[in-house]
Amino acid sequence: MADKASGTLYAGFTKELENVDSYFNSSREGVVMQRALWDGLIYRDPITNEYKGNLAESWTWVDDTTLEFKLRQGVTFHNGEPFNADDVVFTVNFVADEANGVKTQRNVNWMKSAEKIDDYTVRIHLKKKFPAAIEFLSGPVSMYPNEYYAEVGPSGMGLKPVGTGPYKAVEVVPGQHFVLVKNENYHDSPKGQPSIEKVDIRTIPDVNTQIAELFSGSLDLIWQVPADQAQKLEQMGGFTVANESTMRVGYVSMDAAGRSGMDPNPFTDVRVRKAVNHAIDRQAIVDNLLKGKSQVVNTPCFPSQFGCAQDITVYDYDPAKAKALLAEAGYPDGFETDIYAYRNRDYAEALVSYLSEVGIKANLKYMQYSAIRELNMKGEVPFNFSTWGSYSINDASAMVSQFFKLGSLDDARDEQVAADLDMADTSTDPATRIEYYTKALQRITDQAYWVPLFSYNTNYVFKTDIDYTPTPDEVLRFTTMSWK
Amino acid sequence: MSDAMTDPLLAEIVGPTPGQMLRRRIFGHQGLLIGGTVVALLVLVAIFAPLLAPHDPYAQSLVARMKPPVFLGGTWEHPLGTDHLGRDYLSRLIYGARVSLLIGLVTAVISGLIGSVMGVCAGYFGGRVDAVVTFLINVRLAMPVVLVALAVVAILGGSLTVMISVLGLLLWDRFAVVLRASTRQVREREYVAAAQAIGASTPRILLAEIMPNIVNNLIVVVTLEMAHAILLEAALSFLGLGVQPPTPSWGLMVSEGKNMMLFEPWLVMIPGAVLFVLVLGINLMGDGLRDVAAPENRS
Repeated sequence: MADKASGTLYAGFTKELENVDSYFNSSREGVVMQRALWDGLIYRDPITNEYKGNLAESWTWVDDTTLEFKLRQGVTFHNGEPFNADDVVFTVNFVADEANGVKTQRNVNWMKSAEKIDDYTVRIHLKKKFPAAIEFLSGPVSMYPNEYYAEVGPSGMGLKPVGTGPYKAVEVVPGQHFVLVKNENYHDSPKGQPSIEKVDIRTIPDVNTQIAELFSGSLDLIWQVPADQAQKLEQMGGFTVANESTMRVGYVSMDAAGRSGMDPNPFTDVRVRKAVNHAIDRQAIVDNLLKGKSQVVNTPCFPSQFGCAQDITVYDYDPAKAKALLAEAGYPDGFETDIYAYRNRDYAEALVSYLSEVGIKANLKYMQYSAIRELNMKGEVPFNFSTWGSYSINDASAMVSQFFKLGSLDDARDEQVAADLDMADTSTDPATRIEYYTKALQRITDQAYWVPLFSYNTNYVFKTDIDYTPTPDEVLRFTTMSWK
Repeated sequence: MSDAMTDPLLAEIVGPTPGQMLRRRIFGHQGLLIGGTVVALLVLVAIFAPLLAPHDPYAQSLVARMKPPVFLGGTWEHPLGTDHLGRDYLSRLIYGARVSLLIGLVTAVISGLIGSVMGVCAGYFGGRVDAVVTFLINVRLAMPVVLVALAVVAILGGSLTVMISVLGLLLWDRFAVVLRASTRQVREREYVAAAQAIGASTPRILLAEIMPNIVNNLIVVVTLEMAHAILLEAALSFLGLGVQPPTPSWGLMVSEGKNMMLFEPWLVMIPGAVLFVLVLGINLMGDGLRDVAAPENRS
């Protein structure tokens, strides 16, 4: 039985990890494990957004493309290996090498190499100016033990992970469960000291089964609980239901550049794109389907992200105006198109229904994310309901620059926007960055390239004897949990 | 005529006409009556869906989501409640009958045509024709239907047309097997030999001598495959690979209600129950028709 007396907290995950080695994993659950098992050089406080030294005590920009770190002394890895400059140099050089195949290249491909100055001083060289470096170093880039990693590689790390983090992995059975125990020698980290002795994470794909286990007492904590179930559990009482917003933004992209070979392609007409924006009642979707701390989003970035300006064109729900715009564009009876979606079929269906009210008949093509992404890269997706979580990176470049810089996923292909974003991404002056992000976002919304929809939220449901306050970055932190 | 009526001797041997006997057999068969009624009712519901449905099955109302049905404290505005997008459950159920029956019927017709032609030819001609058909049946039986259907739908995308074509082209094996066996039996009979002796053409023999004597087997397979196709459609739609939303399909309704099964079990139970009743009805009707039409029961 899971309870305070046993000292073990039982948690449920919906998804299985591809690999516990965080560089070879892209799921949210993997991020949770990464933050528990490993540390980065820097840590961003999820409440104040302040950067604090973690494995590094301090850092300075030597020039635009060089960062120097003074490392914390006396830190050891779970296997007893001491942490020093060699580990940083090895980790950075390993992950920055594209040949090693880190899963999410964007997390690491801005780094060129690392250089040891002395045992506790390291320099990281960047490929080019990259102002979001500190944010990435406090997020996905964690430090690995050089000797151990050189010996076992990603597959060994995936089965017997070793880090400096607040928890050590004592049992990894892929697809079944992970057992983490408190790291008694955890250094004086801004993450705080772990309090819960032992965490047992089990993979249970079905939400109903998770809830049933919560009722029967064999689970203490579940998360990512859909809004309807969370509401029911809250009404029942007996559990703490906490809701936090996440950085994930839902949006509909349109084939404004006319890549998809639809003939005629209505989306190349700005009036049609505006009509689509006016046709969807985003507030009603947020209020009734997403609920919680979700909010309507008007930008192709999450409002808290640096540079995500909000003084842009906003389209209200106005089906009459949508119809008028469609008629003006030469589609008085609407048109037919395919709409692609990979998650939240209910939200997609709600969108389809709103569109049909103004005469746009959208046939839902519900597919795997990877399949749609591939089609989209080939420019074959005219209309796409998708989402982007920005890897919890609090900078607009993690979202808007991902989609509007003429890459293969760019459906707008607006050179002016791309040029503005380029300025914003590479400048080190915050004011210049804001100025150019604002310009780009204004142009994107004026041209109605996307329909930004809403931000997602996550529901955490746990037993009342657990003390835990979730954070808005969608990372479950066992370190901040305790028994009441 | 008047002679026969008045002649007491003749009056004694006049029994019920074949029509009367058929009627008597039909009305004496409970399973056939129950099954037939259920199927007939659902066919009527499907045909008159626009008149019967209280609401537009596609009209969503996000403020009226998951209202319970009347018997669980709901209102008569939505007798069977509303789904996760606030669409009227009864209306979706009624329109869903169209999808299920359409798929069942058309699939049975397509696969029935393919399978019957192959089975009858193999059974009648024997020899090489039989060898080829038997080989094709074996090939077909070696492929698991659900797996092939999943693969095809995954490649082509799910839609009503794709569903019907895939199932129609996959479910002919039982027709072929059953009709091949029964044709082989029938072709050895004296009346077939007699027809051949008087010089009847092959099509005439097949249609006038063979078919009437194997049609009872055909009927059973038709109903079995219809029920099979309906269940397969529901299963594939449940997996998200069948009929695409927002088309109302019972399998899709079960799948959409699944997430809330723990708290709102009726979302799954209502479409599930209707599916069960339809499939049971079709099976009862098929069994009954077989009993009634079987040559050994005719006298």
